[in-house]
Amino acid sequence: MSTSTSAAVKREARLDTAVAEPTNVLIVGVGGQGVITVSKILAQLCLQNKLKVKQSEIHGMAKRGGAVFSHVRFGSEVYSPTIPLGQADILLALEWAEGLRWLSYLNPDSGTFISDTQMIIPPFSCRDRERGATSNYVHRTLDQVKQHVPNAFAVDATGMATELGNPRTANTVLLGMLSTALDFTVEDWQAIIAQSVPPKTLQVNQKAFVLGREWIQSDKHIAAREHVEEATPPAAPMVDNVVVDLEITEAWCKGCDICVKMCPERCLVLNSNEIVELTDPDACTGCRLCEWLCPDFAIAVHVQKIETTVAEHR
Amino acid sequence: MTETSMHAFEIRDYLRKELMPHFMCPGCGHGIALRALLWALYELDIDKNNLAIVSGIGCSGRVGAYIDANTMHVNHGRPLAYATGLKLARPDLEVIVITGDGDCLAIGGNHLIHACRRNLNLTCIMLNNEIYGMTGGQVSPTTTVDRFTTTTPFGNHEPGFDSCKLAAAAGAGLVGREITLQVPALKNLIKEGITHPGFAFLEVISDCTEIYGRKNELGESPEMMLSQKASTRSDVYGNSVDQPFRPNAFETGVLTRNDRPEYADAYKQHMGRIMAASN
Repeated sequence: MSTSTSAAVKREARLDTAVAEPTNVLIVGVGGQGVITVSKILAQLCLQNKLKVKQSEIHGMAKRGGAVFSHVRFGSEVYSPTIPLGQADILLALEWAEGLRWLSYLNPDSGTFISDTQMIIPPFSCRDRERGATSNYVHRTLDQVKQHVPNAFAVDATGMATELGNPRTANTVLLGMLSTALDFTVEDWQAIIAQSVPPKTLQVNQKAFVLGREWIQSDKHIAAREHVEEATPPAAPMVDNVVVDLEITEAWCKGCDICVKMCPERCLVLNSNEIVELTDPDACTGCRLCEWLCPDFAIAVHVQKIETTVAEHR
Repeated sequence: MTETSMHAFEIRDYLRKELMPHFMCPGCGHGIALRALLWALYELDIDKNNLAIVSGIGCSGRVGAYIDANTMHVNHGRPLAYATGLKLARPDLEVIVITGDGDCLAIGGNHLIHACRRNLNLTCIMLNNEIYGMTGGQVSPTTTVDRFTTTTPFGNHEPGFDSCKLAAAAGAGLVGREITLQVPALKNLIKEGITHPGFAFLEVISDCTEIYGRKNELGESPEMMLSQKASTRSDVYGNSVDQPFRPNAFETGVLTRNDRPEYADAYKQHMGRIMAASN
């Protein structure tokens, strides 16, 4: 055995690790929900299984109710702490609208989307509303999500946790669902949860974990499909109520980026010509922020209101 | 504010479309201020033929040129002087002055204090971007201390004007301030200024991204606008608990109301008395 061959073996081994892509889990939610805790549990679990882990988060603007996300990457070797666009294997959303916002990060061919159907409606989507009007909250259904990704699950985890007796265990229900998509043993999961939750709530958390795991493993999510569809945020009132048409005058746009950065639904981008473009018409709620803040008057929002009574909405 | 009237506001009805797109740099807050002004004019239902816009020199001076109404683009620093003459000759016109921080406070500083003193029924909208943008970025009377400009390469050491306090002390009937990020609030403030029977001085905190922001590494216009929001305090929260924590914050909203006689009325009465005496 010469030294050169052992070096070649070493090089090959290095190449192997370089080729092994890490598993990417993106956890998103709203400030106060426990996004960071969930990602910490997952990262600890990976560490105990002797895997390399990188976890990075943004919670600076969160307070209570702001957007929070956490990237967890693990595998035999991890280089970058953040997940590239379109490469997340699993998107775990603790809140419905946040889940939809991050859909573009999910791998379109093999990604798994797991979301709570809990709605936390931000204050700005309620502003200037008439009494009884529906909010500007996103109005896409699970079926529309399924057009983007092959595996999409929407579940009323908060409702399930409430039935167990502690609505705060909703995240553990979601962890149970997440566990079916990853290669860790149930015992490891249960042990790490036992380490991470307050002792008083251990029992209910363990029950919640099993409940979430069983929900995906059994055919419950198919049987309970109607229930899920019901739990999915209502599409009908919003769609029937308001039709939004964004008119962009390309010749007037100077690509200053104000609308792109200020859009609460992040549905605008600058295209290759540095001109604004609406990429996600479904996500646009017609809040008019882009129209108001465009210094070049390049955007006009036409909101067509279709007259329906409040009673008809309900 | 109802949805229906918002829907009917078409900014293009008020613009000289043949001049668009306007000459302002990408991300310049002056365009947002112009929208707020036009929106206020729409909501007050002011006839374009009864509207006169007077503007001075600078980036702010060019804003007036894009409005499809009677507009005057006049000497540097003198829009208030022209507007005073115009309003006295044609009191039926709604006269609005658009000016900038250099135009209004440096070159036209004297005209400002005397316009405030007279309290003629004008609306003066001062677009404050803390810089002479058009001429290449010289220091202006409102440039923040320690910021870099082409004429202060080692940082500005002069304290800036608080123009609202200046105008209030000089006797302006209504004084207000707003940032460009709060478009509906800015529109409401301009409405209040136009309807006020007396001199209304409104400071609009705008952003100069290309020249001032870049030189001082303040970020692009979204970042600049958000930091402006963080450095201002709305009059709504005037006495709230966070006041002690932000002693240097600029207040926004309507800041001062001086209940003083309007100049044109006083002038008419004065002339009447003289005419009666001479007859």
